[in-house]
Amino acid sequence: MAKRVYIAGVGIISPLGKGLTATEEALRDNRSAIMPLEIFALLHGEPLPVGQVRGLDEQASPPRSHRLAHIAAMQAMASCDQPPDAVILGNTTGGILTTEQLLRDNVDNKELYRYHGLNSVVEYIAKEIGCSGPALAVSTACSSGAVAIAMALAMLRSGKAKAVLAGGVDSLCRLTYFGFHSLQLVDREGCRPLDADRHGMAVAEGAALLLLTTDKPDNPLAELLGAGLSCDAYHPAAPHPEGRGALMAMQAALADAGLDAAAIDYISLHGTGTPENDLAESKAINRLFATPPPLSSIKGATGHSLAASGAIEAVVSAIAVAKNFLPANTGCQNPDPALGLTPLMQPTSQRTTAVLSNSFGFGGNNGCLVITKPDRFSQPVPGRVKPGLAIHGCSCLTGAGNTAATMSLLAQGVPVAGMAGLDSISANLPSHMVRRLKRLPRMTLSLAIGAHNDSACEAKPSSVFMGTGWGALSETYDFLTRLTDSREQFPSPTDFVGSVHNGPAGQAAIMFGATGANITISGGDYSFEQALLAADLLIGEGKESCLVLGADEGHQVLSPLLDPSIAPGTLLADGGGAFCLSRKTEGAQCLVRIPFYQRSATEGCINSLIEALGGVQTLKSKYALLLAGIPAAVREEGEGQLARFMEQSGLKAPVIRYRKFAGEFASASAVAAVMAVSFLASGKIPGPLVSGDAPALESNKNAILVLGLGRYLSAMEFSRP
Amino acid sequence: MDKPIMNELIAELKVKIIDILNLQDVSPEGLDENARLVGGALGIDSIDVLEMVVMVEKDYGIAIDSQEVGEKVFSSIASLALYIKETAPGSSS
Repeated sequence: MAKRVYIAGVGIISPLGKGLTATEEALRDNRSAIMPLEIFALLHGEPLPVGQVRGLDEQASPPRSHRLAHIAAMQAMASCDQPPDAVILGNTTGGILTTEQLLRDNVDNKELYRYHGLNSVVEYIAKEIGCSGPALAVSTACSSGAVAIAMALAMLRSGKAKAVLAGGVDSLCRLTYFGFHSLQLVDREGCRPLDADRHGMAVAEGAALLLLTTDKPDNPLAELLGAGLSCDAYHPAAPHPEGRGALMAMQAALADAGLDAAAIDYISLHGTGTPENDLAESKAINRLFATPPPLSSIKGATGHSLAASGAIEAVVSAIAVAKNFLPANTGCQNPDPALGLTPLMQPTSQRTTAVLSNSFGFGGNNGCLVITKPDRFSQPVPGRVKPGLAIHGCSCLTGAGNTAATMSLLAQGVPVAGMAGLDSISANLPSHMVRRLKRLPRMTLSLAIGAHNDSACEAKPSSVFMGTGWGALSETYDFLTRLTDSREQFPSPTDFVGSVHNGPAGQAAIMFGATGANITISGGDYSFEQALLAADLLIGEGKESCLVLGADEGHQVLSPLLDPSIAPGTLLADGGGAFCLSRKTEGAQCLVRIPFYQRSATEGCINSLIEALGGVQTLKSKYALLLAGIPAAVREEGEGQLARFMEQSGLKAPVIRYRKFAGEFASASAVAAVMAVSFLASGKIPGPLVSGDAPALESNKNAILVLGLGRYLSAMEFSRP
Repeated sequence: MDKPIMNELIAELKVKIIDILNLQDVSPEGLDENARLVGGALGIDSIDVLEMVVMVEKDYGIAIDSQEVGEKVFSSIASLALYIKETAPGSSS
């Protein structure tokens, strides 16, 4: 049965104010909230105009992003007494505002860094509202909020969830404030989207969350009718000059909603106010719409709250259809004739049924949403149950080197933990391609090429799903260090562009010309599992293949501070794994699925896991090996869970604690996944790994289970076709 | 214009540019100061230009904060050298 997705509740906090009413009032006043930066002191110079949230309590912990998201979450859940089945939050900065200060003060108490990671925000929210399902941190730069909502739509339609809380958050911080300034993308006069004299954006902060449900609430604010994702695959920071990716995302969103362009009666523009963005967006709109409907960007009022902006604008789009109210293009005095668009110069009351909301970001990551009055359009055609995912190629990187080097050592029972060598992470990469790339993007490209070469697929992957626990640590550290060392005078634009979590996946898209969905997700020790979940939700049944990968870099300074599993004296390790996947089983190396992902603190969690794996009998007869992921920081908890699982399931298969071999790093499970594929391909499990004779994989017992244990319980299953 | 001083500046800029843009397999001698700098064979793009903007400000005290000026200045290493020479604080020209 087709499922409609309703917006049952919303929460919003932005420079315009707190809550739906305050937001709407500010928009009706056509008032800009952009003003000089106040929330942190500058070493010198006049503060630039920004969009900051006023009146947020000063407190040390949790960081500002967490508090902004919490406020929005409480509002969104106010009229609902049931926690949602999942939380999906777009986020690019995590707790970095706090981390920046700690690093400047040379604080080495790692307890104080525990809210650094992007996943810490969404997990904090999930815990606060009692959600025990997946808590996913989407990080696709300035489209994160819209992409998170698009993923929630896919999850709801799949039937895997009935209610999802989704949106985005970002707080102001030095990284984005100085980063965008170093790119000369900040307008000193405020922000004037679409104006002939526009000079850039105003960096901002905020949060918005939408409670999306398939059960129709009493008074739904609006319906989320469709979503479309694309990637420019053009440049790490600049949009495609013709708006190629923007056009594809808008077209995909309309197709997904089953609407013609003519059905749209308002466009909420991405409209950042940078010369390039507004020009590219206008070209895409003028190609798609014979006569564009009324349109405006609210970023002249709010500033650009990065990961939050797509969610904030989704809320504004919901207001538009609920109240028949269209906000003005605040800040624009003289519309640029070169754009060929007529923005709304005043707030306008007008009957509005269907809105297209645009979000575009660094890495060419684009996400568009279609938001309509409830039940107004015909129901989308129900999708068939999609076939499973098939692996056509894979590769890994570890301290030992590439896949062959890694598997050869593992076959002898020798650990491969360590920092992957510069040669191996740069293998097959021409020097002109990688001259600006530090550790993580090199690993990503090298893994991507390895997986594609290992597959028999001629065509290159068209979409990319990347999990990374910590993102590009080298670029982040180098940016902040140079910022501090130069007394805030000479931050590096190259390092800023490289520091964004979705930078590496964007590079992979450029290399492959992958213009489909491009999603980076940061789920701590479950980052690879989350990338696989995202791929399973979003990849279609066509012939096209996608790239799913997990990678993390070890960093001498940041890894020991940030990763709770790295204690003083722990060997620094990094690497990852990559897979070419599609829904075509023909010629596949093996099949993969991810039947379980849940917070472990819930009652009966082990039982639910066993059930999700098909029950005790199935499980015992199916799995020949269990690869257990127990991060050092949660060893006791994880061992307890593993013991209970083995006892309750009666599973007698050998267990490999893979972090002992792959090392302690967030996306080590991607290496475990490559181990599983490799063992299935060879038909045997190396004896030295399980301290005994090499157990053979029999035809009736030919599946390998990869469990993630600790704060969450996850299960990935690898089996022969 | 003082030719030897210009040549010295050009040589200095070549070394700096190779370093900050991490141009591998390129030697200062192999860089043609009159060749197109941005969008040419070296693959130098807008991000690299901004990195050079920072270098020019840091090392020569000259701020380049408009795209129009930037496009002219960074058209070649020779034009960059000329701009620095003419604009540097204390420059007589």
